[in-house]
Amino acid sequence: MSVLFGIIFMLLVQSSIAERTRDKMYQAITGASCFRRLNATHQTGCSSPFSGSVGVLHLISTAVDIDFLVNKPPAPPYAPVIPPHLFTRDNILRIKNDAAKYVSAIILINKIDKLIDFSHELKCPNPFSGLISEQTCDPSKQETTWNPYGTGLLHEDFPFPIYYVADNKEIQKIIDCFEKFNNFDVKNQKHRSLCSIQVNSFMSAAVNSEVCIRRTGVFNNLTPTKFCDPLQGRNIYTTLFPRPIVDPVNRVVDESEKIILVSARLDTTSFFDGIGLGAMDSLVSFATLISVAHLLATLIPDRNAGQKNVLFMLFNGESYDYIGSQRFVYDLQKKDFPTKSTSTNILTLENIEFMIDIGPLDDLNNLKIYYAKEFPYEKSFKSAIDEYNAKFTLGLNITEQQSLNLPPTSAQSFLRENISFPVVIVTSNSPKNKFYHSIYDDGTNIGFKYQNTSQDFTKLDTFGAESPFEANSTQIKIRNTATGLAFALYYLVTREVYQKDQIASSVLIDEFLYCFLESADCPLFKAASPPNSLPGLSGPPLRYISVAGGSQEAAGWTLRLLGYLVGSKVQNAVKKNCTEPPLHWIAGFNGTGECRLTKSNYSSAYSPAFSIEGYDWQSGKYSTWTESTWFPMSARIFLQPSKTHEASIRRVVWNLPFKFTHNNASSLLKLAKKTVTKKMKGRRFKIYQLKTNKSTTLIFFNTL
Amino acid sequence: MTVAEFFGCTFLAFGPPLAMFIFTIAHDPIRIIILIAAAFVWLLSLLISSTFWFAIVPLREYLSFGLVFSIFFQEAFRYVIYIVLRKTERGLQEVTQNSRVTENKHILAYVSGLGFGIISGAFALVNVLADSVGPATMGLLSGTNVFFITSAAQTLCTVLLHTFWSVIFFNALDTSRYSHVAYVVISHLFVSCLTLFNKQELYYATLIPSYLVTILTGILAFKVVGGSLVTVKRFVTCQ
Repeated sequence: MSVLFGIIFMLLVQSSIAERTRDKMYQAITGASCFRRLNATHQTGCSSPFSGSVGVLHLISTAVDIDFLVNKPPAPPYAPVIPPHLFTRDNILRIKNDAAKYVSAIILINKIDKLIDFSHELKCPNPFSGLISEQTCDPSKQETTWNPYGTGLLHEDFPFPIYYVADNKEIQKIIDCFEKFNNFDVKNQKHRSLCSIQVNSFMSAAVNSEVCIRRTGVFNNLTPTKFCDPLQGRNIYTTLFPRPIVDPVNRVVDESEKIILVSARLDTTSFFDGIGLGAMDSLVSFATLISVAHLLATLIPDRNAGQKNVLFMLFNGESYDYIGSQRFVYDLQKKDFPTKSTSTNILTLENIEFMIDIGPLDDLNNLKIYYAKEFPYEKSFKSAIDEYNAKFTLGLNITEQQSLNLPPTSAQSFLRENISFPVVIVTSNSPKNKFYHSIYDDGTNIGFKYQNTSQDFTKLDTFGAESPFEANSTQIKIRNTATGLAFALYYLVTREVYQKDQIASSVLIDEFLYCFLESADCPLFKAASPPNSLPGLSGPPLRYISVAGGSQEAAGWTLRLLGYLVGSKVQNAVKKNCTEPPLHWIAGFNGTGECRLTKSNYSSAYSPAFSIEGYDWQSGKYSTWTESTWFPMSARIFLQPSKTHEASIRRVVWNLPFKFTHNNASSLLKLAKKTVTKKMKGRRFKIYQLKTNKSTTLIFFNTL
Repeated sequence: MTVAEFFGCTFLAFGPPLAMFIFTIAHDPIRIIILIAAAFVWLLSLLISSTFWFAIVPLREYLSFGLVFSIFFQEAFRYVIYIVLRKTERGLQEVTQNSRVTENKHILAYVSGLGFGIISGAFALVNVLADSVGPATMGLLSGTNVFFITSAAQTLCTVLLHTFWSVIFFNALDTSRYSHVAYVVISHLFVSCLTLFNKQELYYATLIPSYLVTILTGILAFKVVGGSLVTVKRFVTCQ
């Protein structure tokens, strides 16, 4: 008795937290999953089965370890844990093709110590749109390709999920668990419990966009199901000078209105959901365009008679067969640009006198100007850059090349309609990005270090003045390139040579890169927003085009930025007189609020393929990319019972209750109407059928 | 998969009670009603003890507090069902076609005990069983992979014990043998407190004494209903 109370007392003092058994069995692993996209003919990406993929963790440290997976491993299925330097086309396709039976998921861990290159885009991006027949980009000829490091895995279809774990703590959880339970006596793994992972990333869509859109349209029950959504977003544009306001019902095409179009790419993409900054593949040219626009807007605040207007445009969805620029060209042809609500005249392709497309700027010192056909503007453009290059010692080395093998940029959508379209593509001399469209194309890839100067980013740099940035820093290199482009444009717009010594702002570039690479809660975005508005998220804005209902945060911030940096300041305005668009009341650099006459707006980046009735999916005319819908994606590690343990439990326990009933009821069973002996899966069963007085039939199995 | 483990554990815990139900209860509607009534009364005891657990703040922190309280409530409600059954005996006599139920008082005790046992077993094991379906087994952070099977065995033990306890308890109240009532309460406390060892994964320390108590209690219940070595002999030799 006293012992009993002793025990009770002893246990009384020991606290216990009520928790479910489950909490002790699983550990969640945060990460990002690869997902499924579809085009007119194929599905790409990956998906798990509906209930998730379960695999035994197996760390791959060298390429040889993959042999283990291919050669009948002891306790399949496995989930190989792969560091990025082994995530190569050869290795992954070997797992996909030779070890598909034994592999249920791939876990990519963020161990970059041996990483050299990592790009899963194709060697020739967007091969099925733009100038298809003229292109000579050939994946087998390295020198003709635009992404020589590309593996093309982004365009492969995987029957298993691929999960990326970035956080070091999470990686450690996985590796610790693997070392503790799996990484010894590997041959006899099936005789013990093994550390395993379950990845849930089931994708609803299958086959291709056509099938998926058709299935989505079928109303076979009261709650319609969506299987996939077209990729869509917004193009952001601004004009250098305000365009004349007209009556929205009487909008016409003014053939005398000539504009210069300057474009860059807004979006980027990567293998995994929600990760991928696209620093070198698109953000550098994006920064260049913003910088050019800001410099020009500051130098030419008012339009003189006869000056051409400049349209700065950021195209969205260009990574997926030029969605944004295709739509823009389509809208121009249909006379739908700009939208009615802007109350400005309609533009057509003929209004564009000259287009400068800023392509990837992997190497900011060595630029190349590509053009398809010779036209007068091209020569004067190059000579203008050369002139300012010398004047401001920008250190640019510019060459030009006429070619039909053009970089995969927005210009392709225009040239496809008209090969003589007056467009030049400004890009780096040769592709140097080792992380094109990948999760590792980040600030480090472009050597970006945020200086946080706290200086006014709307003030221009003065040529020759001391700068807080090193001469070969990314900020200065972008500033120099932007300055060269901007003054060439200055010449084309004003037909005058710039005489003073102001050049593009390096502080603006520093702040811009910080916002898009590190945190949206940044001084520049704050200055471009209304005073006291909610700050941006602590992470960088997502620049993947995404689908309808996606956050569109990059486009939203860009719209505000262009409004702020290109919009002209209305002097002596007060807040209450600054509410009607295009007037906007925004915080400004010192946060006190200022009134800007904005010229920015957005246009749709939604592939015409989805809005044309009866579009021929096989025609290849427009982008057909859709993204599958999915349930929340997750992964967790746990201990999977050994195969032997399970089998023994099945043998011992399964039969026990029946033996029990059998012994108690032997007399009853003698009354059985029918006994049948059956053989199932190599074992013999005796089946007893009993009729009771309530005419229910009881059936008993007994193993023999 | 762990589905096998799930079924194994389910049948280990509920196979014998299921057999008992089929062969001793299922054929008589009155017994089914009483079984369910007993299960309901056990649920009431759970409701009250969980209200206490929630309302009295120290109980929430310490498992052992709640456990002891819960046992007293269960025993109190065992007394409640005893009173109810004795009060309704005459009514039962009227509705039943089978007079054995009312003639042999141990049958009612056995049926209500099994009702108590099945429902308490279900509540003890259902959450664990739900987690056992897979794909994981115990052992990643703590616990061993015998957790499920020991839980199932413990549950079976509880189900059988409740049946025996009710038989002893009802008879003790009928014959005023209060030492038996005390035995029921104390052995209930003892077995339940033993389960607190599970937190330290001392499953042997829990299961072996629990089953010893079960056998002892079973023998006592057998004796209470009039069994003896002679009757065992007769049963074995089918006389």
